[in-house]
Order: sequence, then C-alpha cells, then structure tokens
Amino acid sequence: MKVILAIAAGLTAASAATAETVVTQWDQFAQSGISAAGPAMDELIATCQPSLGGATVLRTIAPSIGIRDSYRLAVSAGKTPDLAYTWPAASVLAGYARVGALAPLDDYYAQYGWDHINDFYRGRNSHDGHLYALPMEQDLMGVYYNKALFAEHGLAVPTTYDEFKAAAERFKEAGIIPVSFGNRDRWPATNTFSLILGLTAGLEAEKAVLFGDEPWTNPAFKQAAENFQAWANDGYFPRGFNGVGYDEANALFLSGKAAMTITGTWVLQDMIRGADSIDLGVFMLPPMADGVPAGTMWGEGSQWQLAASADPAVRDAAAAYLDCLTSDESRKVWVEKGHTVPIGTTPDELAAWGADPVVQKFFAAGLGTPDSNFYDLHTTLPESVTQVLYPELQRLVGGDATADEFLAAMQVAWETAIANGERWLP
Amino acid sequence: MSRPARLIQTVILILFAAYALAPVYLVVLASMRSEADLFAGPLALPWPINIENFRRVWQDSGFSSYFFNSVKISAAVTVLVLLSAPLAGFAFAKMRFAGREALFALFLAGLVVPAPSVIVALYGNLQTLGLIDNQIGVILPQAALLMPFSVFMMRTVMQDVPDELIEASTMDGASLFGTFVRIVVPIARPGLMSLTLIVFLFSWQEYLLPLVVLQTETLKPITVGAASLQGRYGVDYGGIAAAGLIAFAPVVALFLIMQRSFVRGLSAGAVK
Amino acid sequence: MSDRTAYLFLLPALVLYLAFVALPIAQVVGYSFFDWDNGIIGDYVGLSNFARLGGDNVFWAALGHNAIWVVLTLAFPLTAGLILSAILAERNRHVIRWLSAIYFIPRTIPLVVAGIIWGWIYNPIFGLLNYLLESVGLGGWGGAWLAQPDTALLSLNVVGAWTFFGFCVVIYLAAIQSIDPSLYEAAEIDGAGWGRKFRDITVPMLRNSTLFLGLYAAIEAMRFFDLVWVTTQGGPGYATEVLTTHVYKTFFLVGDFGYAATLSVVLLAIVLAISSISFFVLRAK
Repeated sequence: MKVILAIAAGLTAASAATAETVVTQWDQFAQSGISAAGPAMDELIATCQPSLGGATVLRTIAPSIGIRDSYRLAVSAGKTPDLAYTWPAASVLAGYARVGALAPLDDYYAQYGWDHINDFYRGRNSHDGHLYALPMEQDLMGVYYNKALFAEHGLAVPTTYDEFKAAAERFKEAGIIPVSFGNRDRWPATNTFSLILGLTAGLEAEKAVLFGDEPWTNPAFKQAAENFQAWANDGYFPRGFNGVGYDEANALFLSGKAAMTITGTWVLQDMIRGADSIDLGVFMLPPMADGVPAGTMWGEGSQWQLAASADPAVRDAAAAYLDCLTSDESRKVWVEKGHTVPIGTTPDELAAWGADPVVQKFFAAGLGTPDSNFYDLHTTLPESVTQVLYPELQRLVGGDATADEFLAAMQVAWETAIANGERWLP
Repeated sequence: MSRPARLIQTVILILFAAYALAPVYLVVLASMRSEADLFAGPLALPWPINIENFRRVWQDSGFSSYFFNSVKISAAVTVLVLLSAPLAGFAFAKMRFAGREALFALFLAGLVVPAPSVIVALYGNLQTLGLIDNQIGVILPQAALLMPFSVFMMRTVMQDVPDELIEASTMDGASLFGTFVRIVVPIARPGLMSLTLIVFLFSWQEYLLPLVVLQTETLKPITVGAASLQGRYGVDYGGIAAAGLIAFAPVVALFLIMQRSFVRGLSAGAVK
Repeated sequence: MSDRTAYLFLLPALVLYLAFVALPIAQVVGYSFFDWDNGIIGDYVGLSNFARLGGDNVFWAALGHNAIWVVLTLAFPLTAGLILSAILAERNRHVIRWLSAIYFIPRTIPLVVAGIIWGWIYNPIFGLLNYLLESVGLGGWGGAWLAQPDTALLSLNVVGAWTFFGFCVVIYLAAIQSIDPSLYEAAEIDGAGWGRKFRDITVPMLRNSTLFLGLYAAIEAMRFFDLVWVTTQGGPGYATEVLTTHVYKTFFLVGDFGYAATLSVVLLAIVLAISSISFFVLRAK
C-alpha cells in the first residue's frame, strides 16, 4: 500500500517534468568489480522510468575505481551530475554539502516517507542539520573463507580470536596463505584496519575519538594498530601485499591459494560469480580484546545525491525516481539480480526472496549486532585525513612505522582537519 | 681491438637490446594467450594464438572509441602546432624586431614548464571557457604546452634556409608571407615532417591533461582508457596486454617507418 | 621588414602560449596567496601557504626523491647511452640503424602503458620477475619490488631508464658521428686502445651532448608524473612520492587549491633555476 501511495505521490510531484527534462545519472553499477550490481540497475531503470513523469535518465556508468575522482572534478568544474551514486560517503558528502554543491533532501524525505533510513544513516547523510543524500546499499565487513580448505585441515569456523589465530597459523604451516590481502590501491587497508579497530577498541572508544576530544594516541587504538601490524609480521598476508591489487587479492582467494579474505559485502557479486571452483563461506571476525562485544564494521559506502545546480523539475523527477529505486519491489530486484542488500532489508526478507546463502549468512550475522556495530574510517574521516591514512597504513602494515608513529601522524592530520572545520559529526 | 674485447662489447649491445624489447615481447605474448591463465606462468607460449582479447577490448571495453579519440586529439594538436610554430620559428630565425630576445626567452622558459604545475589554474580557466569535458579543452592547452619545443626546433630548422633565396623572392615583389609559403616551407619540409611526427607522438602519450579535463567515457583518449583498465579488468592480464598493445603499437610502427625523421627532430635541439 | 609583420608571424603561437601556459603560471602564483575550501576561493592569507612548506614532511620527502631520481638517471641511462653509442659507432651501418631503433622503441611507448607493463613485471605474486628468479633457483632474491620502501624508487627508476637510455644513444650517436675521424686515427697510431680512445677523445668531445642530456634528465626528473601515478601513487607510504604527485593529491584529492598552487610555484622555481643555470653553463662553453 505504502508503495502505491509513494508512486502516486511521485507522479504528482514529477508532473512538472516534461519530455525534454533529462536527468543525468552517474553510478557505479558495472557488470564486474566492486558494486557490480549492473544487471539490477539495468532492470530498475526500465521499471522506474515511468516515475520520472516524462523525463529521461541519461546514464553514465563510472566504475567504482574512478567515480570518486571524476565526481570531485565534475563538482569543481561546475558540472555536477544531477544524480550520482558515489563514495566514500559521510565525510566527503559533508565536504560537498559545505560548499553548496548538493541539494538538501529534507523535503523529499518527508514527502516520500523514507523511514527505512534510521537515525544512524540519517546522521551519516546529514550536514549542519540537513539531509543531503539517500543511502541505499547496506555494507558490512566479514571474513570470506574457503570451506574445503578449512575442512581439509580439520578446522572449524573460529568463534574466538584465539581460534582465528590458530587457524591462520595452521594454514601458514601448510603453505597456504591464511588471509589474502592486497593494498596497492591504498584503500583496502582502511577497511581492514577499521574492522580490527572496532573489534579491539569497541564502538564507544571510536566515538570518543571521532566525535569527542580523545586523541588517536590512546591505548586501545594503539593495541588495534599493533594487532594489524602483527598479522603482517606473522605472515598472515601474501608476500608483497602492498604491491598486490584489491582484485588480485580476491582472485588469489577465489583460486584456492588463500584460505580467507577479509573484506566487505560490496564485492559479494564478484565473489559469488567467481566461486565456481571453491566452496565459499562467510563468518564474522570475533572480538579481539576482552570486554569488546561482537560486531562488525557497517555503514553505507555510497549514496545517492542530487546536485544543487539541477533544475527544480529535474530534482523532483530524480527524487521520485529514487523513491522507486528504493521501493519494496526494487529492493527485491537489487537482492535477486545484484546480490546487493538495500538498507531496511531484513534477514527474513532475504530468506523469503531466496537470496544466495552467502548473502543470507552475511547479513543475518552482521545485522544481528546493531548496537555494537562500528564505523568505517574510510567513509567517516574527511578527505584530508584519508589522504594521510592511506600512506600511513601502508607504512604501518609494511613494518615501516610503529603503532605510535602511525597514531601520532594520524593525530596531527586529525587536529588540522578539525581546525579547518572538516570534521563530520552525526 | 682484440676478439674477446669485441665479443664482450657485442654481448653488451645484445643485453641492452633485450632490456628494451623483453617487456614488449612479454606484452605481445600475453595479449595472444587464449584463456589468460594467471597461474600458468607468464612465459608459457600462447597456443593456439587467438585474437579474442583484442576483439573483446576493442568492441566491449570501448577501446575503438579511445583509439579514435587519441587519433583525433593528436591530429588536431599537430595541425594547430604546424599552423603556428613554423611561422614563429621563421620570425625568430630570420627577422629583426623589437623585443626579439625577450620574446624568445619567454618561449624558452616554457620549454621546462611541468604540466602538473599549471593544471591548478588551467583547470579553472577551462571551466570558465566551458571547455571542461570537451576535447578542445585538451587540444588547446596541449598545443600550447608543446609550443616552446616546437618554436625552438623550428627556429633551428629555419636558420638553415639560405637568406639569398628569401631576399630573391621578396625582391621579386612577393610578400613575406607568400615567400614563406612558396619558398621556405618546401625547403624546410624535412624539418616540418620531424615536427609533425614528434608533436603527434607527444600528444599521443599525454595522460594528465585528458585525465582531468575529460569526464565522459566516450571522449577519453587511449592513455586514460588504458590506465582505467587496471581497476576495471582486475586480473584479466590478457585484456590489459591487448589494450596496452593497441595503445602503443601504432606509434611504435610509425617510429620504425619514419625513424630517420624522428631522430633528426629529437636531436635538433641537442646538437646545435 | 617591419616589426608588425614579425609580430603577425608570431601571433598564433604567442596567443596560444600566453593563454594556456603563461597566464596559468601567473594565476598559480596568485592562487598561492589565498585560502581555499573544496575548490572555492577564500581569504587572502599572504605567505602562510609557503610557511607550511617547512613543516610538510611529505614535501621534503618528495623533493628528496626527485633529487635521487636525477642522480640515478645520470648514473645509469646516461652512462649506458654513452658506452652503447661509443660501441655502436664502430659497427656497420645496418647494425647502427637497427640497434638504435630497438633501443629507442621504449621511448615511443606512452609512460602510462610502460607503467602498466612494468607494474605487472614487478607484481609480487603474478609478476614475471619473481617468476624468473624462482625458475632459476633464486626465489630468495624475489621481492615486492614496487611495494617495499627500500626498492620501490630504484625499481621505478629502472622503468624510467628503460624509456630514456635509447634517447641518450640517439643523441650521443649523432654527436659521435660528427667527431673528426682523424682524431681516432692519430690516437691509434700512438697505440691507444679502445678504452683510452673512449676516455681521451669520445667523452671529452661529447661534453655538450652530456650537458644537454643532463639538463634534460634533470628537468624530466622534476616533471615526471604518469609513471608514478599508474604504478604506486607515491607509495608504499611516501616511498615514491614526488613533487608532481604531491601537487596532484593536494589539488584533486584534498581540494586544497592554495597549497597545491604553492607547491606548483616551488616546482616551477626549481625547474626554471636548473634550466637557467644550465643555459649559462652551455652558453659559456
């Protein structure tokens, strides 16, 4: 019922759009790679075209790897696409909102009743009290593992950190890479570290630093940095991981040469399609310190945003179209055709819709700990801090900087960003 | 020279030839491997030879469009430079006028300007002119950045044109421009040929300018397309190799055919 | 000939050059005195952007890498070019033509593509280099090449040298062929061997070419960008950061236009200083 009303409302709202109205759309939904939900997007464009009220969508597929830079260039060139689905979320979004490149969406949220976006996500998509984006994909991080290799070595799925370490040691002895990891692209380590940080320091310690006055150089953060470095020192990762691409690391895992790889749901599509030769499973990394509850890194890596420069009729049409893209029917299409799970989708729905077992497992586990799930540094830090995080993580995990040096460098960048008013607060 | 000494020298020559060619050979091998098996070892001979990688890259990944964009942009830059640099080179070589030294020094300074250092302002200007995401926005700055080298080279070339021929022509009542077109250009033809080839080569190789100016996929040249493959193709080295080959084979072929002309142009600045 | 005709001849080249090179340079200098936020200009801040240079460790690391690149380029491709051209000059016409063409081929390959090819060769897991070392029993020498701070810059320089040594051969060869053969004949009569002729005749006679190539190498070492950007993006850590990548990141990734302009001004000043010094040295000869 809600859907019918929403579509009806959309039609009225978009009535100002005419046949000449064109909505330029940039998205990352390619046929392979990260966010490879291309087949779902293709179908939904056809489905949602009518909600545009006569306007047409001019679509550009900008693969995930390049859309972030292209979008930044387009904004500074004054050619912001009307509608875009870009990354990395909260922090850069705030930056664009601050300089007035994006249109506030408060009215559309009210008009269409986008209530499936809870306060956590609303916070991440707000700046200065206004909503500037509609998040869609729900991202979680977990451990993809090769079931056959675990069985072959008599290992059960680890439920404690000690068991995880024991499994890694066992694989290492057997000459199998315990955890496939490639950080040439510089961003993958930000996710891995975010996961380790949350499971070592916990959500409250993160909040104290990200939104409070606690410095990066605190004991819990130091322990997390040391844990990450220890994995590298202990030979959990493939040789030369700082020179291995993200795709290459995934290929290494899918070829059966590595027992696990730790990454997010954004690559589920590729993993499921590539898992012909291995028996793919997934589990959540257990807590890594006493007193830290189970949880995972979650959030939305990307979000839909509208250009402030777009014509009001175009914005109205685009909002109606977005409402269609995130409707209940459409969520099912994202799951079925794209292995992508939109925000608001429950584990029960995934089961009812016959989602891939790996998808079901991943989300049942990840959504089961909503109170202790934590932040992704990559999508939470302002860009100036991210550009320090990249090289400093390469140094940390490569053994070229100590945990103290790493945190000291982060603290300097952090203080500068705060002084420049770049910090994102929920 | 003793035989062993000569033999050692020959070995050195061959080793460096291998250094130059081995990576090229490797790419050719990889591009023709049927099922680019990542773990079979990069030296396994591709058999049967197949061109599926090329077909896929050319048709499905938009390389035909990248390729023709490169041809278009490079050709336009070359034409623009050919229409302006020889005239300026001629003026600097053969004419006396106020401010000649200062203007030449101005061009000379541009010889070393790094493109990344002007991009900061250039970007804003192109935006004001509405040339962002437009191939003209790549062509004009690129021709300008190549101008110092081209003017410098053309001055060297024009200095070799005998004064008597120019004087004889102007005495007969021809205008200086007419003389330039009818007398100077034919004499300077080998130099102009070199300039054409070098400017074309340099603009074919340009990466940063199109990377930042062009946002629409169908406008981008082959250097930008090739670089974007790394993320898009993941571990499909066969596809990446085929794309790389498409990106450099035409210019390598052009160089091998026109080697003499290339070398003359490149060494023009060095020897004089 | 009137001045006006000369200016008309200059006009097309001059307009293009002023509009798209000279003007942006002037603007960059201007930008460096302002504060910027995500590409939007803010307050006049005087020299405060320049004051940041002192405490910017990445800037100093990058500058150091540019300097190392100059030294490495002078040490390897330039020397290799000198020796190869001296050897080659004594061979027959066809050998000269073919080998100098082969040596020059890498120079015609776009640096972006060269970076992709060599990035693959150096790949720690899927790369040819480690594969070759393993197949001859030297697997222990294998490494992560571009991913280790102690080998990254050097490995990258091997790629730079790959594209540059053939150019050196071509330049030197042209110069050697214009040396008066009687000099060598006289030396031979005195019983001079190949090594002595190389040291006493070839090297001194090629001094101008060496100066030119040295200048060229130094300028290129300050300007190069493509190669680093497609292989390491300045990493691991800051191990291959150079001035141009620092400018690019500050400008396009952080959006701090003012400081990016400041870095550009420094880059320009260095390049112009190198070239004017060399210009006077060359002219003095």
